[in-house]
Amino acid sequence: MRIQRTRTDDSTFELNLAPMLDIIVSIVPMLLLSVVFVRITVVDTPVPQAVEQAVAAANEKNKDLVQVSMMVTKDRAVKITVVDRGQNKEFDVPGKLSATTTDGKVVVDLDALYQKAVAIKREYPDVFRMEFNPDESLPLEDLVVVMDQVRKLKSNETKVQFTDVTSGKPIETDLMFPDVVFGNVAGG
Amino acid sequence: MRFGRKRGMSAYIERRSPSTFKIQITSMVDMFVILLVFLLKSYSTSPVNVTPSDDLTLPASSSLKDPAENLKLVVSKAGIFVEDEKVLDLKDGRLDVAEVDASDTQFIRKLYEALDQQAKKSRDIASQNSELEFDGKVIMQADRSLPYEILRKVMYTSMLAGYSDVKIAVMLKE
Repeated sequence: MRIQRTRTDDSTFELNLAPMLDIIVSIVPMLLLSVVFVRITVVDTPVPQAVEQAVAAANEKNKDLVQVSMMVTKDRAVKITVVDRGQNKEFDVPGKLSATTTDGKVVVDLDALYQKAVAIKREYPDVFRMEFNPDESLPLEDLVVVMDQVRKLKSNETKVQFTDVTSGKPIETDLMFPDVVFGNVAGG
Repeated sequence: MRFGRKRGMSAYIERRSPSTFKIQITSMVDMFVILLVFLLKSYSTSPVNVTPSDDLTLPASSSLKDPAENLKLVVSKAGIFVEDEKVLDLKDGRLDVAEVDASDTQFIRKLYEALDQQAKKSRDIASQNSELEFDGKVIMQADRSLPYEILRKVMYTSMLAGYSDVKIAVMLKE
């Protein structure tokens, strides 16, 4: 018996890409205008206000018991003071000679500062606020570097555990002192 | 002899190459799709836009906090700007003594007036629209080489104008 073959169209065909190209050509310039290669973020640095501080202090009695402040001097020495229920504890991190330049430039010893900050954090895991009193001559770049150093634990460190005041549950975090407040802005 | 029929070379050309032709655009579309994906990846809707200049280089930081829509305060080596409007000049990152208040050495009057005007505007809007609230937040874009002495004055003045929550804009360190 003879097989009847039906006539079919050619199996290959060409897709009309012109409209698609039109759309892409319109989108590309728009995206090119809004493209960014540098991501901008922010560092929180609220300024203390007398009333606000009094209210905050009244609300958070526990926080008021322990206060951590950090001072950076002109010669890049860092002095961290912890006031624990009226008792002062001081930690000094002297500046060191820069390893990158040979002109005898003194820089903040960031590794030593980090180690001190970690030790303080492990002792006071529920304190997140740090008062920052840098010297007037220090450039912003140095201040940001110091703030970065005390903000977070490095990824290879074991996290800090503290108890949540509201729920009473233990919480693990890698944050050290994320709330940095410029303490000497309003008179000081 | 027949009329209306081309002969010779012209007839040959007409027969061999038609006047319309198609451009092969598949490879071009491929290229554009790759470009589109790359641009979409680096597309940003951040409210903080920094115009690069010699007078304003932001410090690098590891902070991952994204900026929100707040008042924009720029402190470059050339001057202080509030919402892109120049308030006062700085001479190579130094503030003129005349610009500082005689009784309070931390207070910059011109900056206070500009910020106070912005605060009033925001409060007026907040009084008309219950969904909006004046929160006193300001994003400060400051050059990394500026000394804390100037930044302290700027922060002190903004605090007096009602902007007590200062956020320092930084470049994300990769």
